[in-house]
Amino acid sequence: MDNSKRDILENIKRHTSVQYDMPEIDIEGIQYPDKISQFILISKAVGGDAVELDPGQDVNEIIRALYPEAKRIASNLPDISVATFNPDDVSDPGGLNGTDLAIIQGEVGVAENGCVWIPQNVKQKVLYFITEYLVIILDKNNIVNNMHEAYEKISFNDKGFGVFISGPSKTADIEQALVVGAHGAKGVTVILK
Amino acid sequence: MSTKHAEAAERFIENKEQESWHNETLWLVRVKRDNMAMAVPEWEELRELANKIKMHTITHLHKYIQQFAENAEANGVIVHWAKDAKEHNEIVYDILKKHNTKKLVKSKSMLTEECHMNPYLIEKGIDVVESDLGERIIQFMGVPPSHIVMPAIHIKREAVGKLFEEVLHTEKGNSDPTYLTRAARAHLRNEFLTADVGMTGANFGVAETGDVVVCTNEGNADMGTSIPKVHIVSMGIEKLVPNHKSLSVYTRLLARSATGQPVTSYTSHFRKPREGCEMHIVLVDNGRSEILSNPEHIQTLKCIRCAACMNTCPVYRRSGGYSYTYFIPGPIGINLGMLKFPERYYDNVSACSLCYSCNNVCPVKIDLADQIYRWRQNLDSLGKADKMKKLMSGGMKFLFTHPSIYYNTLKMAPAANIMPRFMIYNGLNEWGKGRELPRFSGESFTQMWKKGKVQRKNNK
Repeated sequence: MDNSKRDILENIKRHTSVQYDMPEIDIEGIQYPDKISQFILISKAVGGDAVELDPGQDVNEIIRALYPEAKRIASNLPDISVATFNPDDVSDPGGLNGTDLAIIQGEVGVAENGCVWIPQNVKQKVLYFITEYLVIILDKNNIVNNMHEAYEKISFNDKGFGVFISGPSKTADIEQALVVGAHGAKGVTVILK
Repeated sequence: MSTKHAEAAERFIENKEQESWHNETLWLVRVKRDNMAMAVPEWEELRELANKIKMHTITHLHKYIQQFAENAEANGVIVHWAKDAKEHNEIVYDILKKHNTKKLVKSKSMLTEECHMNPYLIEKGIDVVESDLGERIIQFMGVPPSHIVMPAIHIKREAVGKLFEEVLHTEKGNSDPTYLTRAARAHLRNEFLTADVGMTGANFGVAETGDVVVCTNEGNADMGTSIPKVHIVSMGIEKLVPNHKSLSVYTRLLARSATGQPVTSYTSHFRKPREGCEMHIVLVDNGRSEILSNPEHIQTLKCIRCAACMNTCPVYRRSGGYSYTYFIPGPIGINLGMLKFPERYYDNVSACSLCYSCNNVCPVKIDLADQIYRWRQNLDSLGKADKMKKLMSGGMKFLFTHPSIYYNTLKMAPAANIMPRFMIYNGLNEWGKGRELPRFSGESFTQMWKKGKVQRKNNK
């Protein structure tokens, strides 16, 4: 289909007339006096949750208390002792089906919309979506105000995939009635350290 | 003379209850959008930026599309170029054939709809599974989407319940949305696990990095691309943005405009194929490059398919997606249909009251209503002007340019007040359908003015 590439490019060139300049993107995005409390507020608003870890509190304790019924718990994070297996030991992505809870590391939080940036940091990215419930650990110093700041700060690794996750999976496709847990996690808690 | 839109709308509004439900539900989405927009102080600034970035990108597409393709290829992605729908479908089928594909799991893509890809692949023996809940519902029903973001908005929960009883063996008479969604989750989970290839559309392509960005709430695009070994992206060439800095503007506008959420649950950036897997991007022109040379309609290429123009449109809300003859309804669909095939889709230009609400909510500031107005002005050159309206316009022109006849006619107008109903509300008076004629005043304004009856209103 090399001809198609040539034809399309030629068509684009032939049909382009007036050209417009790129605007300066110097917009000042919304700012919050307290980014952490705004992040917690919006996380709840999008159907998820965010909790701040108290000094000296063990993250595993919180997770246990939040998800007492979880049996198959996946995490490749060294501090997570509640994990029952390391998802990176599972080579077939389908093998992660039936994971009750996954605990993963987030890199950047966004106060305006509850997004957390996850550059793929597990072997099979399906973990983020196939798990019934998801816990994201986030350094509260890495919360930014808005998406402009977020895109300045995020990075990719060799795996070449990254996702902003904001709350649980949801749908309103039946009569606009909101249902949490369409295909992905039925609940998401961000733990701010 | 009614247009096809008016005729179909008449069928839609026969069910008054459904009509007002549709109207109110979509209006609620508009209200949610307003709340989101008003909570962002720089909202109008964002819209202006989004407009300018897209105008720049589409008028420098020659550069950006090549940059995008080169970067994607450097990332290990296989890039294909499709001039039209036919080539797109053939390319997709070739990839599927190469991988002995039996099952293809898809997330929502208006482009594959535009290319009529599903029927093409199904005929070739591929099991095509739509995975967005709304899309799956309408696929089971064998009907097209009636809205580009909420494809099954016209279907009531009882109908979904009944459908799922048949195809997913759910409980009889249970139409609880949570119950039905859970049933679909279990069913589609199995489809994700057993599909050979996953396919997505693209919300954005980032030229500087080669990233494909897909936004969903359900997470179906992610499930469908994280298990099968092959990921195919179907992407229109107008979907590009120059870089991440530009992308930040659109990720703030898209979900707020579409569903009144601050962002979708998942904003996924696909840069490279998964380890040991393949990723393909099919870049599709299918008439887009020609729109570049059309100054009156070039702005349609800015569209990010948020559907805010539909949700706000009083005609869409009260006539439903199926009243339009093009597969994309509402203001943007009217224009895209005319660009595709004016002789076939001209009926839709009547589906507009020129209230301009669409212009005011569009996050990329497309001049939607102006374009519809321009199409109407050109209908006569297509030979598609409404004969009755032409006759009436001719008559009005005559009246307005002959003052004495005009005034005499006006004097007769109050006669309509005492005419029997059948003389006014009959098949000959199109205007009288669904409308009540106001009472004519016994005197015209001019007569009142001359008698000094017109007083300045004192604003105290």
